[in-house]
Amino acid sequence: MITREMSMCQAIIENMQLLPLFPRFNMKTGFGEMSVAEVCNAHQVNIDFFMEIANAYLDEAYIPQEGLALFSLETVVEYLTSTHTYYVEIALPSVEDNILKMLDHSSLSPKELNLVTAFFNDYKKDFMLHISKEEEYVLPYILELEKQSALENPDPAFIEKLQRYTIREFEQEHDSLETSLEHLSQLIIKFLPPFNDFQVCHQVLSGLSDLVNDLADHANMEDKILIPRVAELERQLLDRHKTK
Amino acid sequence: MRVSSFILVIDSYLVRKGMASILNHIHRVRVVKEFDTPEPLVNYIQNQGADFIVISQSLFQQATSLFISRPDLLEKTILLTGDPVRMETDNQLSSLTAEAQVSIRLSEKKDEIISKILNILDLSVSGTGSAYEETLSLREKTIVRLISMGLTNRQIADELFLSAHTVITHRKNISSKLGIKSISGLTVYAIVNNIITIEEVTSKPSE
Repeated sequence: MITREMSMCQAIIENMQLLPLFPRFNMKTGFGEMSVAEVCNAHQVNIDFFMEIANAYLDEAYIPQEGLALFSLETVVEYLTSTHTYYVEIALPSVEDNILKMLDHSSLSPKELNLVTAFFNDYKKDFMLHISKEEEYVLPYILELEKQSALENPDPAFIEKLQRYTIREFEQEHDSLETSLEHLSQLIIKFLPPFNDFQVCHQVLSGLSDLVNDLADHANMEDKILIPRVAELERQLLDRHKTK
Repeated sequence: MRVSSFILVIDSYLVRKGMASILNHIHRVRVVKEFDTPEPLVNYIQNQGADFIVISQSLFQQATSLFISRPDLLEKTILLTGDPVRMETDNQLSSLTAEAQVSIRLSEKKDEIISKILNILDLSVSGTGSAYEETLSLREKTIVRLISMGLTNRQIADELFLSAHTVITHRKNISSKLGIKSISGLTVYAIVNNIITIEEVTSKPSE
């Protein structure tokens, strides 16, 4: 666990697995003696939200405090969007580069080469589709929900939509992105002939495993922090509508 | 992967956190809610639902009326009991206790607890079909195999003496069971699950 008062340097040294979070909050290194709270403050990051995310990352069993609406859903949505950017611009391209490097120096047959490249290309397409669906429909829906909830008289059209679609439907969807990557690792470890350059093979496998873990954390945070908050807002809005 | 949701209804803070920590280390488990009294459970079950309830014996006793009115919940119930197991004097209670899925004693070792939980998860997968990572039927495996060999829907239909429409229905079911839509994804799935060998795969896995 990290606390608000501890120095950011100490927090990182003790919990290196937090590092991927920093670019998502637009933070870089060079923190000097600043505490976690001071760094958040200097970067205009909501400290409550930062603590929630960081501790959820460090402790799988972490359960967010109930009833504490300390940060807006808009903050959560911004974070999710920058996480998506990280996947699309950094994590996936780096795994892809390493896969290409690994295939370059390999003695795979054309069929095996094709299997891996076609798999990864299709995976990227599915991944992008998943993200664009979230960004085009789900996230704007959440922002709209938060906006409407704050209104004295919410838009009747929105209420009507709410009666047909709720966030729970979206919840069903996100397991396969991780499992597919695990299939690829299994293919490499078990079924393809050995690769000449073990270093680059190692990089591919650890890149895949990092991405799987990050996606699992991401899904965890959506399930534990985002969706319960959204479902609660939906419920309150519908209740208000019913009592009218 | 099918993830099962667990609710913990345990009065002792330490036991509850300990249980949550063990459960969250199991890949297929997610603890979605923790309560220290049984009262909020009814509401939660009705609104959100859950796959399993881990409840301590004392709270289970307090909630007897709930379990009598909702006997279906007993199938989802994992009882945490003290050690040694207390003999029940109340008949109704002891029959309820007997109906619970499984009991875990506080003195049990971590591995024993994990293996009990895994056991329950496996049973629920093969049993009621409430689980969502269903395994493929034999027919569906055959179809995945033929897809990996590069056959079109029409060719698969001819091969298996089915209508093209039926093949399409099977493919839809396969994709929703596995969460995999692309041919390349299905092909790799088939290889790592030993449904086909790399040698048998078509040389052009493309849409």
